[in-house]
Parts: sequence; C-alpha cells; structure tokens
Amino acid sequence: MLFDLEIQVYLDALWETAYMTLVSTLFVFVLGLLWGAFLYGTDQHGLWENRTVYKIVSVITSALRSVPFLILIVLLIPVTRVLVGTILGPTAALPALILGATPFYARIVEIALHETGNDLKETGLSFGATKLQVLFRILIPESLPALIRGITVTAIAITGYTSIAGAIGAGGLGNLAYLYGYARNRILVTVASTVLIALLILALQVIGDLLVKKLSKTS
Amino acid sequence: MIRIERVSKQYASSKDEIALNDVSTTFESGLIHGIIGISGAGKSTLIRLLNKLESYEQGNIQIFDYTDLRLLNQESTRMLRKRIGMIFQSDHLLSRKTVLENVLFPIALHRKVTPSDTEYARSLLQEVGLSDYASRYPAQLSGGQRQRVGIARALIQKPDLLLCDEPTSALDVMTTSQILQLIQSTARRHHLDVIIVTHDLNVLREICDTVTVMDKGRIIESGKLDEILYKAKQPETQAFTKQIGLDLGTLKNQFPIEELLLLKFEEEIVHQSIVSEMIQTLGVSISIVFANVSPNKKGTMVLHAPKKQTEIIAFLKERKVGVDHVV
Ligand SMILES: Nc1ncnc2c1ncn2[C@@H]1O[C@H](COP(=O)(O)OP(=O)(O)OP(=O)(O)O)[C@@H](O)[C@H]1O
Ligand SMILES: [Mg+2]
Repeated sequence: MLFDLEIQVYLDALWETAYMTLVSTLFVFVLGLLWGAFLYGTDQHGLWENRTVYKIVSVITSALRSVPFLILIVLLIPVTRVLVGTILGPTAALPALILGATPFYARIVEIALHETGNDLKETGLSFGATKLQVLFRILIPESLPALIRGITVTAIAITGYTSIAGAIGAGGLGNLAYLYGYARNRILVTVASTVLIALLILALQVIGDLLVKKLSKTS
Repeated sequence: MIRIERVSKQYASSKDEIALNDVSTTFESGLIHGIIGISGAGKSTLIRLLNKLESYEQGNIQIFDYTDLRLLNQESTRMLRKRIGMIFQSDHLLSRKTVLENVLFPIALHRKVTPSDTEYARSLLQEVGLSDYASRYPAQLSGGQRQRVGIARALIQKPDLLLCDEPTSALDVMTTSQILQLIQSTARRHHLDVIIVTHDLNVLREICDTVTVMDKGRIIESGKLDEILYKAKQPETQAFTKQIGLDLGTLKNQFPIEELLLLKFEEEIVHQSIVSEMIQTLGVSISIVFANVSPNKKGTMVLHAPKKQTEIIAFLKERKVGVDHVV
C-alpha cells in the first residue's frame, strides 16, 4: 500500500503511461521522419524542390501543431472510435498522441536534414546516387544523432500529453494523479504519480543520451 | 574532349543576374585544365553543368559520347555521373563511416562491394598516402588527409574525368602543393582529364596545362598556361597574374615593351649562373624585373634588356632557355 492505494495500481498506471509513450513515440519516429523528409525534400535546395507543395504541407504542419492537445483528442473521437473501437483506455489515446506529436517531430527532422545539408546531397548525386538513396543512405544516417536527440525531446513531450489524455479517460499516471489524487483530494497520490512521471521522463532522457553518445563515437 | 557551345544559364532564384552568359569552350583530353575567376564569376556553375548537378537552358554540351547532355534521362544521368569524379572545397565525407567505407561508398550505392573492390580501395588509399588510416573516422584526420580521402573516393568508380571545385582553398600552402601534386600524379596514372576551379593562380601554375579565365558569367580569355600567365591581355586576367608577382601592366608602363624579354627555364638548370655568365660574356647590362624560379622546377624570368637583344637571345637559346618577347 502507498497512500491508501495498492502498489499494483501505481505500477499499472506507470505501465499504461509507458505503453502510451513508447508506442506513440515509435509511430511518431517513423511517420515524423517521412513527413520531415518530405518537408526537407520539397523545400528550397531539396531533392524534389517544389515550392507550392512545400508551402501547403508546411502550413498544414504548423496548423496541426497549433491545435491544443485537449481539443485534438476531442476532434479525433470519431476517428478513434473507428480505428480502435473504443474511446477509453491507453490504446484509444494513441491516435491523438501520434497526430499531436508527429508534426512536432517532423519539424525537428526537417531542420536536422537541412543542417546535414546541401553539401552531402551534391556529393551523393555526384556519385550517381538516386534521390532516394541520397535521402536514406546519406542524409538520414548522417543526421542520426540529431534525429535521436529530437525523438528524445518528442518522447518527453508525449509523456506530458499522456497525462492530459489520462485525465479524460486514457488511464495511466495522469489519470491516477487527477482522478484519485486531485479529484478525491489525496494530494500524496498526486505527488507520487508526478514523481513516477518525472522518473519516466528521466529514464527517456538517459536512454536518448546514451544512444546519441553511442552514435557519436566516431567523432 | 568536352565541347561547350553557347551555353547560358540562369538560376531560377536569381532572375536579375545571369550565371553563365553565352559560354563556349573546349577542354581537350589528356590535360589538366584550370578555370580561374573572382567569386561569382560562374566557375562552379560551369563545371557543375558537366555532371548535370545543374541544368542549363540554352546551348549544347558534348562530353564523352553524349552529344547533348540535356537529353539524358535520370538513368543515363547517373551513368554519366559515375564516369565523372568530383572533389570539393571541403571533403564532404560521411562522418559515421570509416575512411575505407567512405572510399567504397559510391560503389556500395550501386551494388554489393566485392573483395576486389576493397582491394582496389586499399590501393587507392595507398596511392594517396593513407594506407594506415583505413579504419579511422573522418573526424580523426587532418584537413589535408580528409581531402586525400575525397580524392581516393572520387577515383573508386574509375572515372574518365575529375572535376575539382577549389580543392585546396581550405588548406595551407604546403598541403595545397602536396594535394595538387597528388592530383597531377593520379591524373597521369589513371589517364584522367582534370578540370580544376580556383581563384588562386598559384594553383594553376603548379599543375595546369591550360587556363580559362572567367568573369561575370563569361569566358574572357583562355589558352595554354604560359600564354595566360605571361601574355594576359585582359585586365581581369592581369589582376590574377599579380598574385604571382608578375604585374605586366605596370612593367609595360615602366619599360618599352620591345625591351622586355620573357625567359622560360624548362629543365633543371641553374638559372643564376646562366644570367651572370651572359652578363660577363656579352658585356651587356640587363636587369631582372621579374623572376619566378625555384631550383627544381621550371621557372620564368622577365629581363629588361635595352641593348644587344639578338646576341642575348642567341646566347640563351644555345643554353636551351626559351626566349620570347613580352606581348
Ligand atoms: N544555387 C544558386 N541559386 C541562385 N544563384 C546561384 C546559385 N549558385 C550560384 N548562383 C549565382 O550564380 C553566379 C555564379 O555563381 P558560381 O557559384 O558559379 O560562382 P563561382 O565563380 O564558383 O564563385 P566562387 O568563387 O565564389 O565559388 C553568382 O552570381 C551566384 O550568386
Ligand atoms: Mg564556386
């Protein structure tokens, strides 16, 4: 027991939060990479430069980023119901988490690819590489440390989102902190949940830093 | 041979200026060609047209057996690029691959790397003096060493043409000289045509056979190295020859042009003793108004010889020194 609740309740909540964070981070990593690569590719000096397409996608990206997360969840309720079959529980939170964080990560990817730069693009083309090879075999591998740092920041932001989702029915530590802690006026439960979230975030940061360190061994 | 005919190029993003303006020239096979010009003259643009890193709107380019570069589809463009090695001002190496992996990378893009590829890559590394560095990462190399890796990498696909865009601008004088010698020796060994872009005449003087001078998107002068170095007609070209201490414009103002003699030392001869011997034997008074000679390289001198010119010319020719009037 911890502050009138079974330890198991905390562990379950921690697991739910970790599940929501990790699964959506995985999706965000892949989707954001493609989305960001698309932004980079269509922008000026990109591989498939096309200003009109870039501007359209860029506006959509910014627009999605500016929707408050709580509103995004509500807006996505019909979609979630079709995709997941329910609007309650951790899995039901995934569509909103993924859609909320992907544009954020896409921008990070876009910047990272730009920084890796034009030079390597030209070098690759001069070997006779295709544009897709330049993207996937040169630019993305070269940007990997920045991409990993970016996904760490994104994962931490997603952890924050999960607590908002938790408060309106997705479960997890946010749910615990709000429903059991705040709503029933048991401040210590809220504190314990918060500490657990902080530990989770710390763990994410440590993992991210280790990965980056491992990748940067070559310099 | 590369033939460029009346090519014009304008970048979409800079509508008010023309990057290449009706440029025509040819680059003969088997030679090292230099392109010189101030910043923004269009040098990089010109060589980037050759492997289609840039497109052009007007004119025609013939290279290898391609009669019109504009007609190439994506596949043929990639075939063309494999035949053209390119090295840049900075090395553009992949930071997360070893030196050996970097050299092999162009091949790895197209097919599986075979043991014989690796063997060839190692022989190239040996050629550029980096046999012991195969498993290092680029960050563990000096700038000159990185540029050498870039050279080895540019040679891995056995190209016919090597394009160098300011390959030594980021290097110190000693390293520059070494890299240039390396480019020259590899060009000979691998039967490569080379085009080098620079804004430093010393680079051209060291290894180039021909020089093309560009200014404001045009070719303003081109010819054999010596013609450009010592007989430059355009003021823009003369601005470059000042870099090597030869200020033809000023010399021509100071002395009557027919009294200036241009001496070329082709072989290893002791220049000083020839000149002093000549002064004693012929009893002439001359002054050396320009000299660019080093003990083991060919060199050039400009003499001011107001009198006895025929005797001087005969004396020097007898000793296998090239003599010419400054034009
Ligand atoms: N990608 C580009 N987009 C728009 N304009 C360009 C681009 N690249 C070059 N230019 C313009 O074309 C002209 C020629 O440029 P180029 O790079 O060929 O000059 P350069 O002789 O190589 O100069 P430098 O010695 O500085 O490298 C310049 O006026 C430049 O501003
Ligand atoms: Mg340039």
